[in-house]
Amino acid sequence: MSATINNPLNVLLVGNPNTGKSTLFNALTGLHQKVGNFPGVTVDKKSGSFKLNETIVEVIDLPGTYNLTPNSEDEKVTEQFIRKANNEDVIVVVADVTNLKRNLLLLTQIVDLGKKVVLVLNMMDLLQKNNQEINVAKLASLIGIQVIPLNAQLGKGVGELKLAVLKATKGSIHFIDENNSDGAVDETMKRYQKINQIVDQCLTLKGEDKNVGLTRKIDNIITHKYYGYLIFLSLMLIIFQAIFSWSSYPMELIENGFLFVGEWLENTLPPGLLNDLVVNGIVAGLSGVFVFVPQIAILFAFIIILEDTGYMSRVSFLMDRILRQFGLNGKSIIPLLSSTACAVPAIMSTRTITNFKERLITIMVAPLISCSARIPVYTLLIALVIPKDKTIGFFNLQGLLMMGLYLIGFLAALAAAWVMKMLIQSKERSSFIMEMPIYRMPRWKNVGLSIFSKVKVFLLDAGKIIVAISIILWVLSSYAPTGKFEQIEAKYAHVETDNYLSQNKTDDNLSQENIDDIQSKIAAEKLEASYAGIIGKTIEPLIQPIGFDWKIGISLVTSFAAREVFVGTMATLYSVGDEDNTSSIREKMMMAKNTKTGEKLYTLATTLSLLIFYAFAMQCMATLAVVYRETKSYKWPLIQLVYMGVLAYASSFIVYHLFS
Amino acid sequence: MATLDQLKENESGIILNISDEQLAVQLLAMGFILGEQVRLERVAPLHDPIIVSSGTNYLSIRKNEAKLIEIDTTN
Repeated sequence: MSATINNPLNVLLVGNPNTGKSTLFNALTGLHQKVGNFPGVTVDKKSGSFKLNETIVEVIDLPGTYNLTPNSEDEKVTEQFIRKANNEDVIVVVADVTNLKRNLLLLTQIVDLGKKVVLVLNMMDLLQKNNQEINVAKLASLIGIQVIPLNAQLGKGVGELKLAVLKATKGSIHFIDENNSDGAVDETMKRYQKINQIVDQCLTLKGEDKNVGLTRKIDNIITHKYYGYLIFLSLMLIIFQAIFSWSSYPMELIENGFLFVGEWLENTLPPGLLNDLVVNGIVAGLSGVFVFVPQIAILFAFIIILEDTGYMSRVSFLMDRILRQFGLNGKSIIPLLSSTACAVPAIMSTRTITNFKERLITIMVAPLISCSARIPVYTLLIALVIPKDKTIGFFNLQGLLMMGLYLIGFLAALAAAWVMKMLIQSKERSSFIMEMPIYRMPRWKNVGLSIFSKVKVFLLDAGKIIVAISIILWVLSSYAPTGKFEQIEAKYAHVETDNYLSQNKTDDNLSQENIDDIQSKIAAEKLEASYAGIIGKTIEPLIQPIGFDWKIGISLVTSFAAREVFVGTMATLYSVGDEDNTSSIREKMMMAKNTKTGEKLYTLATTLSLLIFYAFAMQCMATLAVVYRETKSYKWPLIQLVYMGVLAYASSFIVYHLFS
Repeated sequence: MATLDQLKENESGIILNISDEQLAVQLLAMGFILGEQVRLERVAPLHDPIIVSSGTNYLSIRKNEAKLIEIDTTN
């Protein structure tokens, strides 16, 4: 074998959209896959590997494309990969066998480039259902390549495909001469003529595709002038209710689990600095991340299912006319809805939008849509001001407020888009040509794997940042400029002694309470004197007009890199000084007092102001990085950072003064 | 000459010509082949875009793009 571990055999998986390419990729590589730097369905390079007869085979799943004339950034990626494939690389073309002619167009172009090719005929089961038959051997001999019939969903034919990849060949025929001088349209028509000749010899047509009829019936309802929009809005409402009601039990379990582990570690590890760092720094920070896995998994699940069934394309169709008024495109709805999970894959999925101005506006406003990283922040803050079981009729009030925040984000995104539409000049043609795939049941294994990989990325990427920031924060809040802590301890030393003296005379319980009270006073003053306190105090004048104190200030600084850090920061800040570590962050924050006035800190005004701030502010390094990558300029991420910051501050200011 | 945007729901015609080359190459690759039948499946609630089909290929397209597709509706 020529391929070794250092020099594996490369396989490129290409094909039209909706041919079951991703399912095949999952079947080939199982859990041995990595998703570039960021999560995403097939928006970025997705690669994995399998081993066969001592050969390591690297599989790259490329975005779907119809031909080698790219219309979008997405298709450009695939085109580049195909053209750059070397003599050893194998290109596997995945074709939907129920729509063979169109699917073979891409194959003819790749064969003419002289690349090694294997053709996969996917969805063989549907062909049989349609009473059609295909002569696979004949097709293989006519083109001179390996042809593998397959049912990716059942995993049938995957083993044969692996073997075929090892003995892949170049095609034995040329569809179009190299020195052909026809225009692109004539060339494509010539390819179709040859394809027709080949397909007519191999495929026997007996029936009609039954799925088309069903799709027409479903479309009658889903794209109906009233029901269409009603169904869409109801679905959104159901999703938000589900995020709250389905996740509350597993979230409680996770929260309690971490409290238990924290307590156990505190009692097991020798007391001292390390104990404090592990329990109040790392465990508190990790708990803040893990607790939101149920909500994020549910949100991703819905989005993946909506995309997989073909529903998302219909939403684009319904929304195109409306979104056009705002300088967006019907295709923008997929990135905008994906942004409710995470702006990073959402921004990458804008590559399907061909018009640069529309794509740019989509990128610029997508982060205003509330993402899953805001869920932890929203959940925590909403719970501070609204009781858990409060309902209005059928609806949970917490869920309604959450939905309101998502709605505000969406409206703000539309408004910002409209402004940008007026500001950005462009003469490029706007287009909305988009395939409406036939409806089908979600492929549950795919849904499961996608959720798994997205949650994994969230835990790894967000987890790393959160643990690192938790540790830094713990250091900053546990240390102060020399002498400060000693001063505070000295200040209270005599009080403690007094107490000790008086203890002999009065009731034991009462004085114990006094000591606890003094200890928490010491802790609070120490935090204020610490480096973290100094940072918070420095920016306090700036954030006071919107109702924030220096502790929130610290959280704003730490969550600049990623919003979800807010919760971890709060956990760390409020754990410092809580020796028993028995109450949750929420309980601690509810009891928090304004250090100046002594009143409750998280009033309705402050909490709502904070919610709005987190809804609008650009606090995500990963998003800024991906905007830079996608627009290839510092200008756009910088504009985004500034306009979102100004919007957040101004809105918080208004909300704070309205409610206080 | 009739164009695709003039069809009503559930009417069909034969694709004769697509007068914009970029659009033509894109539509051909998506299975909308010259000389084959095309059918207007649905008009969006706000009258634009439309869903058209050819064989088992379904796609949505704006009316101003459909205007560039010349069709024969004689049968």
